[in-house]
Amino acid sequence: MSDNNIAERVRGTIYQASLCLDEARWEDWLGLCHDEFYYAIRAFSPEINVDMTYLDGKRADMVTLTEMLPKHNSDHSPLARHTVVYTVDVDEAQQTASAVSSFTVMKTELDGINSHLLAGESNVFLVGKYRDQFRIESGTPLFSERIVQLDTRRLDKGSHWPI
Amino acid sequence: MPARNAKQWEKVPGKLSSGEYVDSRIYSDRDIFEEEITKIFSKVWMPVCHESELPDPYSFRTMTVAREPVLVVRGADNQIRAFLNVCPHRGNMLENRPSGSFEEASPSGAPKHITCMFHAWQFDMKGNCAHISRATEGYQDRLECKDVGLRRLRCEVKYGGFVWVTLNDGIGQTVEEWAGGAFDCMQKSLDAEPLEVFHYHKAIIPCNYKLWHDTNSEFYHDYLHYHNRVTGFNDSYFARKNIGFDNGHVNVGSFEVQYDEYEGFESREELSFPHLPTNHWEMIDFFPGVNFNLRGSALRCDIMTPLGPDKVMIEFRGLGLKRDTPEERLTRQRHHNSIWGPFGRNLHEDLLAVTTQQATMSEWADKRRILHGRHELDADGDPTIHDEEGMRHFYDAWGQWMDRWPGDPDLSYEEGQKRKAA
Repeated sequence: MSDNNIAERVRGTIYQASLCLDEARWEDWLGLCHDEFYYAIRAFSPEINVDMTYLDGKRADMVTLTEMLPKHNSDHSPLARHTVVYTVDVDEAQQTASAVSSFTVMKTELDGINSHLLAGESNVFLVGKYRDQFRIESGTPLFSERIVQLDTRRLDKGSHWPI
Repeated sequence: MPARNAKQWEKVPGKLSSGEYVDSRIYSDRDIFEEEITKIFSKVWMPVCHESELPDPYSFRTMTVAREPVLVVRGADNQIRAFLNVCPHRGNMLENRPSGSFEEASPSGAPKHITCMFHAWQFDMKGNCAHISRATEGYQDRLECKDVGLRRLRCEVKYGGFVWVTLNDGIGQTVEEWAGGAFDCMQKSLDAEPLEVFHYHKAIIPCNYKLWHDTNSEFYHDYLHYHNRVTGFNDSYFARKNIGFDNGHVNVGSFEVQYDEYEGFESREELSFPHLPTNHWEMIDFFPGVNFNLRGSALRCDIMTPLGPDKVMIEFRGLGLKRDTPEERLTRQRHHNSIWGPFGRNLHEDLLAVTTQQATMSEWADKRRILHGRHELDADGDPTIHDEEGMRHFYDAWGQWMDRWPGDPDLSYEEGQKRKAA
């Protein structure tokens, strides 16, 4: 398979993951991830001059996290992302790829404040970049790492959901 | 009793007495809020940052205290000082960045100086005016550098390296005196060796600052964190005691957390703070809006900046030891963030609850009673974790500072006391 075809599949996988995350289909999202998947949400703080990790874990940790979501009280306002894949670099010899995407996550209020007044209102929740690594197995890209690098650091209520 | 009509709804429920509830207007009334800024926040000591945020001489941090912009700098002598972040010339904000260093020159000014970019007036790290542009030409002998130093603020570094500031030159107490013993429970752990901030994020929440302080003060809301409650809490959790100190501060006593019983958590045993028994948890609710929460491997500090009767900025910091290895630091981060991070399990639930709490208390909503009348005592008669003594202690201090009775803010504190006695 050519680099171009693999790159196209990587793009498709990133967009597929965006849809899964938008629709809170956690199992489907994790189905796109390799067994050794690592996930982290990071940000640099100009206040304390530190690279911070807000959340991280391996695939098993993300399975636990998503399986426990129904046991928590959460703001269920849907989060929808606009993702644009900027670059895809394929290493055919190693059967790996890396990609950088930009994302904006919009929150459409549902039950986080006063639903009668606010449900339906959309606001920007997060801005940042996805820095993804893939393993190509039988021509199929699987996420081996996703670093969610946030620009947004005023996070208000935050979220229980993977971004 | 079935659902109540309007008249019944206005009555004090059950046999609760004055002092066991507050009037919801204290969370929503704009005049009361303005009074709180003037009578409380501009008068007390507040922590504003941690010394590790000022790592070198000429480092600075900026912040806001009781609506006043504040600049904290570390001088060439390593001393940390605080000033109003205001140029004495035309009132411009001297420094706009959240943090940085004055060691390098700025576009308008010399190295090692605080420079107002507007007209290039310059100040040293002690707040002395060092340069007025075209001073003699403009002011002749009517105004010189010696007349226009910065407004200095009282500043102390205390309790694990937190930088404390007050706008009140006349405050009669040091930070230690103001704390009144509230830090005794964790001071040994905080002062054993230098600490360092590894986590910072902020939240602007549509709620009154006291609702957040209430939530940090009462543990009856473990029902909110239901999954944690049913998996990880033990008898000693419920036996923890609320202990009040002078000036409205409260401790929540220590207990051993069974982290390995919490689904999705790991034990903190490997990495406790110095002198803190493994997996233990100590907490201080510091008047009027600060929380120190030392839980096993990480220290959390919430600092509240009230922005309006229904709006507060909360800055969340996580701290470990300065000497941490990268692996230890990562472990502390994970422990901290799995519960208290912006994508952690508890913080989101707590913030969701206070947001929806305030949503029923808009500025013009009818007043209602917000209860804190639980008295749940142990065999020795001491208040336990589900007793709401912590909030009652806070509101008694609040009432004295405000000279208002929290249960009916139209009454003075003294009038409220009389009503309570009656």
